[in-house]
Amino acid sequence: MVEKVAPVRRDFDRMDQIPEMVFRVLQMFNFLIILYITLISSHALWGYVHEGTALEFLLRAGRVPPINWIIPIAGLLFFGCLEILLSVECNNHPELVCKLTLEFLVAIGISYVTGFGYTGMVVLLLADIMRYTIDWKKRALYILAVSAFSLLINGNVLQKWIDVIPLDIVWSYYRADHLLRFLGILNILDLINIYVFIFYMVILALSQMSEKERILVLNNELKEANIKLEEYASESARMAETRERNRLAREIHDTLGHSLTGIITGIEACIMLMDIAPEATKEQLRAIAEVARTGIIDVRHSVKALHADALESMDIEDALHKLVDSTTRSTGVEISMNITTDLSHFNQDEGDVIYRVVQESITNAIRHGKATKINISIDRIDGELHIIISDNGVGCSDVKSGFGLHHMKERLDMLGGHLEYTGNLGFTIHAVIPIRWGNEN
Amino acid sequence: MDLTFFKTRRFRVGISVIIALAALLITTGQYRRIRFSKDMVLTVGVFSDNYWGIQNGHANKIIDNAILRFQHEHPDVKVEYESGIMKADYSEWLSEQMMNDTMPDVFFILGGDFSTFAQIGALKDLDNLIKRDPFFDPSAYYKTAYDSGSYAGRQYALPYECAPNMMFVNKTILDREHIAMPARDWTWNDFYEICRKVTKDTEGTGIINQFGTCNYTWNDAFDANGVSLFDEKGRSCDFTVREVGDAIAFLEKLEGLNSGYSVSERDFSQGNVVFQPMLFSEYRAYKSQELSIKKYSDFEWECVTMPAGPSGDNYSRLDTLSIAMSEETSNQEMAWEFMKLLTQDQAIQAEIFDYSDGISVLPSVTQSEETIKQIAEDTGTAFNLDILESAMEKTIIQPRFRGYDNALEEVGIAVRSILDSKSNIQMEQIIWNRTLNNFLKSMQSQNS
Repeated sequence: MVEKVAPVRRDFDRMDQIPEMVFRVLQMFNFLIILYITLISSHALWGYVHEGTALEFLLRAGRVPPINWIIPIAGLLFFGCLEILLSVECNNHPELVCKLTLEFLVAIGISYVTGFGYTGMVVLLLADIMRYTIDWKKRALYILAVSAFSLLINGNVLQKWIDVIPLDIVWSYYRADHLLRFLGILNILDLINIYVFIFYMVILALSQMSEKERILVLNNELKEANIKLEEYASESARMAETRERNRLAREIHDTLGHSLTGIITGIEACIMLMDIAPEATKEQLRAIAEVARTGIIDVRHSVKALHADALESMDIEDALHKLVDSTTRSTGVEISMNITTDLSHFNQDEGDVIYRVVQESITNAIRHGKATKINISIDRIDGELHIIISDNGVGCSDVKSGFGLHHMKERLDMLGGHLEYTGNLGFTIHAVIPIRWGNEN
Repeated sequence: MDLTFFKTRRFRVGISVIIALAALLITTGQYRRIRFSKDMVLTVGVFSDNYWGIQNGHANKIIDNAILRFQHEHPDVKVEYESGIMKADYSEWLSEQMMNDTMPDVFFILGGDFSTFAQIGALKDLDNLIKRDPFFDPSAYYKTAYDSGSYAGRQYALPYECAPNMMFVNKTILDREHIAMPARDWTWNDFYEICRKVTKDTEGTGIINQFGTCNYTWNDAFDANGVSLFDEKGRSCDFTVREVGDAIAFLEKLEGLNSGYSVSERDFSQGNVVFQPMLFSEYRAYKSQELSIKKYSDFEWECVTMPAGPSGDNYSRLDTLSIAMSEETSNQEMAWEFMKLLTQDQAIQAEIFDYSDGISVLPSVTQSEETIKQIAEDTGTAFNLDILESAMEKTIIQPRFRGYDNALEEVGIAVRSILDSKSNIQMEQIIWNRTLNNFLKSMQSQNS
């Protein structure tokens, strides 16, 4: 079982890209240094032949150098090779070790063409290793390996096996002052290379630290959110319970209240009529029975689904007409209804509210206002549905927001609508519901 | 086209390995081994004037004839060389060819350059070719000439032409002073005695104007006394041995005769010096009819073997012009054949006596009747081949190693310093032994 290493991260945000950018700069810099060294070496070798000091050079060098133009080309080939290897991402330790070994060999090649005068490309290998998130023990081993390699190529150890002309002998073609300048530039480049590497390491450490911090903060936030969510869930359950209880109460009031009001009014009429017109009374009682039956059906529905009654099976407009019709028949109150807009587009919940508002208003007008005439108008004005129910009852100068009005308000609030009422001349209720489908179109 | 493959890791690793190998091939020069076409052009590095420094107008004659022979035997091979390179520029020219990667397949190599070029790895190690070739016979050469192509125990070159170091004698002075020609086995004592006798003021001006010897160097003295300073690999030297001390003491004695006057070659050519070591090639050149008036014409002169030291023999050094193969050659087999033709072919080696001043590296050629006749004709004297023969038999060669030339320079400095200090030679030897060994050690560790 091979242990995995996390691959180099690619999903950087802007902050994380800085180490990667510095790494690129480091690579570019090494490229320039190698180009610098190999071009100068190449020119020096050309110069020896050109000035007729080849024999002297060979005596000093002790071996035949490659042809002058080969040196920069080989240097660039080796460097390109190193670049490709650096771009290869490894998934586990054996792969990483293989890659590092290949990189070592290529680095030896680069040292070879630069006459072991430049070994700074080792920092590239180190920088590459640092990009992997490896645990510290393993990372220390890798760092140790790269350092050992660096010592190997710096410490004249490899020269025992690899026959190479030292850079200073190749460059001794130049006059002493020029040579000093060239070597000085090389030293400065070498130093800058190290500085860029240190900068890279610092940036990398900082970015890894800030990443850890960010993860910590995010973790805390997540915990808090979780607690809130739990609280919210229990609250929500409690609220749902309350809402359901309220709805139940509303349903009972709406269905039973309406039916019972009709029945009471009808029975009071029957009591008065019974002696005068027994036939009419009979008729009246039949109507009352009808109301009671509707009531019982409503209750059954409510119990069964806790859901609206007539609406369930029919369209809202028919339901309203049926409501008006049955009320007129059972109570003898004259009700006129004027609907100027198409109500079929309203959803179930909106239909429910419209129906309940009308139903409740009629009930209130008969029960509390003793009205004999009720006017209902339903219109659409500017994307809103306006329901106005007015009666000729006693009205109410000081409206106590009774049970019915309170429920009506609640229902309208849920749809984003509102309710106005006045009890000066009879009683007028004005309900407004925003039309959702109308706005969409 | 689906490009995802080119982004895979496997592809990237593969391509980087290929690039690295390509870079390695071109930096190490191994790419030259990859040959796309079998071009059979053999290039030869030659210099256009005479190795022995005496112009005779036959500069490229032998090589041209050899090329004709070779192309006749191998019609599919073309042999080319660049003419017009002088011996003085030849080493530099070779170095430039090396650095430009245009090294000839086969090239002449000057005696002084051999260890340098062998050291930098420009010469092909011939041991494998020698072992593989049943027709190649190392014993056909003079042994010393053959050994002069060996470096650190391996053979890197074949000898082409050589000349032993010999002692030139001004016979006119000897006759005037009633001294007999030294014998072939003469010693330092004889040498010193003659020198002592002839060193004098002949004109009565109070200034010595006739001398015993010039240019008899520490190298000649060490050789004569059988000193072998360095070990095979050049890691250490033994400068404290008695032979070295004797040689230095002898040099001191010789120099003492001249009362501080530094005798030069000019004195010899003016006829005022009895002995001067010179290469045999010079004897041949100036003894030949057409050049005999140019130099040394005011007196009669002859040559003998070098004098023997008390612990040595009549040893003399051998200067050899060799032929080597480039390490980078792609025509190894043909190059080897051509080298063999130049160095082992009797007819071509015999041409050395026609067109050059050295002697053939093959004893069978040098000792042939025709050669003896030729030399006699050239020099106009009945040349005693025995002297040449005995000189060739007693030629020696020091083991060569990395930095051999630098080491020799250091020894020269040491000897000069001891001679100049006039203090106890043995003490100085011990002090300089330390210095020389340190020098060798630092040089070998630097080179390894």
